[in-house]
Amino acid sequence: MSPLEIARLALRNLARNRRRTALSLAVVAAGTAALVVTAGFVRFSFDGLRAAMIHGGLGHLEIADAAAAAARGAALDRPASPALADWREVRRALEALPHVTAVGANLHLMGLAQSADGRSVSFVGVGAEPDRERRMGFEVRLREGSDLPAAAPAPGADAALLARGLAESLGVRAGEVVTLVATTPEGTLNALDVTVAGVVTTGVAELDTRFLKLPLASAQRLAQTDSVSNLLVGLDDTRATGAALAAARAALAGRAAPLAVTPWSERAPFYGQVRDLYLGIFVFLGTIVVVLVVLAASNTLVMSIMERVREIGTLRAIGTGRGQIAALLVAEAAWLGALGALAGAALGLGAVLGLNAAGLRMPPPPGAVDPIDLRLALVPEAFAGGALLMILVLVLAALLPAARAARLAIVDALGHV
Amino acid sequence: MSGAVREAPVFRVEGLTRSYRVGDADVRALAGVDLEIGSGELVVVAGPSGSGKSTLLHLLGALDAPDAGRVFVEGRDLATLGERQRTLLRRRRLGFVFQAFHLVPVLDALENVEYPLVIDGVPRAERRARAAAALDSVGLGERMSHRPDRLSGGERQRVAIARALVHRPRAVLADEPTGNLDSGNALRVFELLAALGREHGATVVVSTHDPELVARAPRVVTLRDGRVARDERRPEAVS
Repeated sequence: MSPLEIARLALRNLARNRRRTALSLAVVAAGTAALVVTAGFVRFSFDGLRAAMIHGGLGHLEIADAAAAAARGAALDRPASPALADWREVRRALEALPHVTAVGANLHLMGLAQSADGRSVSFVGVGAEPDRERRMGFEVRLREGSDLPAAAPAPGADAALLARGLAESLGVRAGEVVTLVATTPEGTLNALDVTVAGVVTTGVAELDTRFLKLPLASAQRLAQTDSVSNLLVGLDDTRATGAALAAARAALAGRAAPLAVTPWSERAPFYGQVRDLYLGIFVFLGTIVVVLVVLAASNTLVMSIMERVREIGTLRAIGTGRGQIAALLVAEAAWLGALGALAGAALGLGAVLGLNAAGLRMPPPPGAVDPIDLRLALVPEAFAGGALLMILVLVLAALLPAARAARLAIVDALGHV
Repeated sequence: MSGAVREAPVFRVEGLTRSYRVGDADVRALAGVDLEIGSGELVVVAGPSGSGKSTLLHLLGALDAPDAGRVFVEGRDLATLGERQRTLLRRRRLGFVFQAFHLVPVLDALENVEYPLVIDGVPRAERRARAAAALDSVGLGERMSHRPDRLSGGERQRVAIARALVHRPRAVLADEPTGNLDSGNALRVFELLAALGREHGATVVVSTHDPELVARAPRVVTLRDGRVARDERRPEAVS
């Protein structure tokens, strides 16, 4: 009996008990749809978190003095010393590389912010280049006021963006003046009056209590340095990060003072932790789905075999081999898996499109400030993987009952009531 | 001494015994049966219920194995055959007809008859033609696309007969083939089996306790309590 004949007969057998087959198909379809929807949610969350990390301040690559980079942690709020003196030359070399949209310089600061009425709050700040950050696709989440001007401010016209929590602690609003006090590389204290251009959120509640951003020129005036802490490289495509990393390392090799080129993923341990957590949840959910499908499908397959014991005996009597019987029953399971998965893929597609169209919002994730849109990505590999998983699961569930049916004693089977 | 090679009987059994466990008791279905059935013979195995008719047919058809004794089919000792060889013997050399028809409900009449050829890998065009001819020969040429649930009992058994003969077996074993039919249909089915057996040159062994059929058989082996009580040849019988 050819595989085609077996597949054809198996499909016919599924039509015997339509209600039971429909129930099994519904279980497989629901399982597949659950996998597709969950994968869509997980993928969208990964993509969103990655974009938030990259465009929220990490950039795709960071260039820093190797010794300085090794001496500090990766997080944004741990200032690096202003160790990059020839950063303009380095930037020129980097901006000539493919996929690079812009290279922005950052100077990290820590100090004390003081309001006109005498309130003092410690801050972590970054001096940045707004024009380049815009080209790199960095987001500024303004809650009040306006963004920093693109051009470097003249002395005496310094401005800053204050994170919401910091602005609240100082009791200041856009347009008011605060005094920033920070230590210079030489260890002396320096102060700078800045006008609050706007109030922003970093998206991270904890950081919002301390963060401020000011133009690079203002930050350099405050720190009394011409150097920067690091350079952030923006790319036109996150998938090009690996290639750009290699190109940047090659372009910067051989310098007297070596530079460390670090991809965003190594500077965002949080992303890795979230991804591992989500993948863990996905695997857990997938396991539950598989167990449910196996239980439901096994029941269907065993019932279907029990009802056909006499027929199986007849088929064996007239010369059907044990392997042919087993193959027939396994093919029925494979059909259930394939058809159920197909229905599940359609159901999952409908659910993804429907939920996206519904525009639902979810509460802020732990540590975040804003609610997030509930959106699901279409993940082709989840459709294909879900379908293959269902077929595999059904086939595995069928192996034991099929083997048992194939080994039935013919005379007993013929006399089965 | 003759130089001619004597053709082996289609079936030969020696000292056949077979018991079944029913509850706590051993029920002896066959208690030492010796029998030979030659090529092209039509044999009715008669006897009351429980006399061992079905058991004998199961053993002849390699569906079961005896506790003791030997079964030879076309000279081959079934005890020496493996599972796969027994399956091939049933597929290619034997045909089966059962009391309850045992057609595959999801296949139509033509597909049911075609099935033995499908499992043997016969090309589609050839097997369709052979199955159609077999259905024609049992008078169901017009009912080929009917599924079993749309056929009468007599028609179903005729489909089963066509299925038993479509692969041109050496012998057909029919276990109470008329047990579920009224007397008119029973006679027609029996005569059909006899006629087609003759036409194909196949040995036909039919178990029955229907006296009308017994009366028409050219050879009647009567079983009683698991033994051959009588082996009667009647060349004058009508079938």
